[in-house]
Amino acid sequence: MTGTTEILVALIAVTIVLAAVFLVRPSITAGVTGKILAFVALAILPALCIDVGMSEHMQRSEQTQFCISCHAMETHGQSLYIADASYIPANHFQNHLVPADTACYACHTDYTIFGPLKDKLQGLKRIYMQYISTPPKVIVISGGYSNLQCLHCHAGARGFEENPIHSAMMASLTSNQVSCITSGCHDTIHNADQVGSLKMWSPGQ
Amino acid sequence: MKLRAIGIRKFLRVSSALIILGLLVEIVSLLWFHPLSFVLFAFVGATLIGLGILVYLASLVFAASAPNENRG
Repeated sequence: MTGTTEILVALIAVTIVLAAVFLVRPSITAGVTGKILAFVALAILPALCIDVGMSEHMQRSEQTQFCISCHAMETHGQSLYIADASYIPANHFQNHLVPADTACYACHTDYTIFGPLKDKLQGLKRIYMQYISTPPKVIVISGGYSNLQCLHCHAGARGFEENPIHSAMMASLTSNQVSCITSGCHDTIHNADQVGSLKMWSPGQ
Repeated sequence: MKLRAIGIRKFLRVSSALIILGLLVEIVSLLWFHPLSFVLFAFVGATLIGLGILVYLASLVFAASAPNENRG
């Protein structure tokens, strides 16, 4: 449990105790102090618990461990340990080109104002498919992988900008007309179905 | 049965019960590290807490409007 979670659980415990007072003795609202206490215990603190809880859940869902805790994502998580630098996600993860503890989020979030919300809705759609509807045999990103997610970090980087191939097609890359990963340039990605047959890297080796 | 006839105490009891139940669900969702824990929090925990707050606010409205009825 992280520090924030501990504080939140303590806040929830205090709110439960205060709410329990009104469950057992609602008559204490007869006085002014009781009324104020009721407002704090039954409106302010519960609203705060929802707000902080939502924030905590949103932060938690950015973690790599959270993403791969879903059964369907297990092999994608394992693909981050493929011992081959040509595998883009594995190379980024193992060399800390993205934060290792938020690796999935770093490359798969939508970097717009409502991006995290959009991602969460997409996640809920996946959960619906997994538990209620029929899960797809091959996991694909709805609408394809956007170059903007690569360019969020790479745009402006010297190594990227000075590469003659990149500079020749910069307009096509920024407008997403030519995909970074499906146009034959950087097409070795997770390849989750191959995980079992590839050599894996284990940290500390 | 009219809402005003229920009485503020019953409103407070229902509100407290809903909030406590919602908060217990929130604790479970925080201790459970799984994608479904967010669903549990958002669709069960937060809904129960939100309902509890609404019931409490409703009790304020009905308790405040009660004396006006007696003015004749």
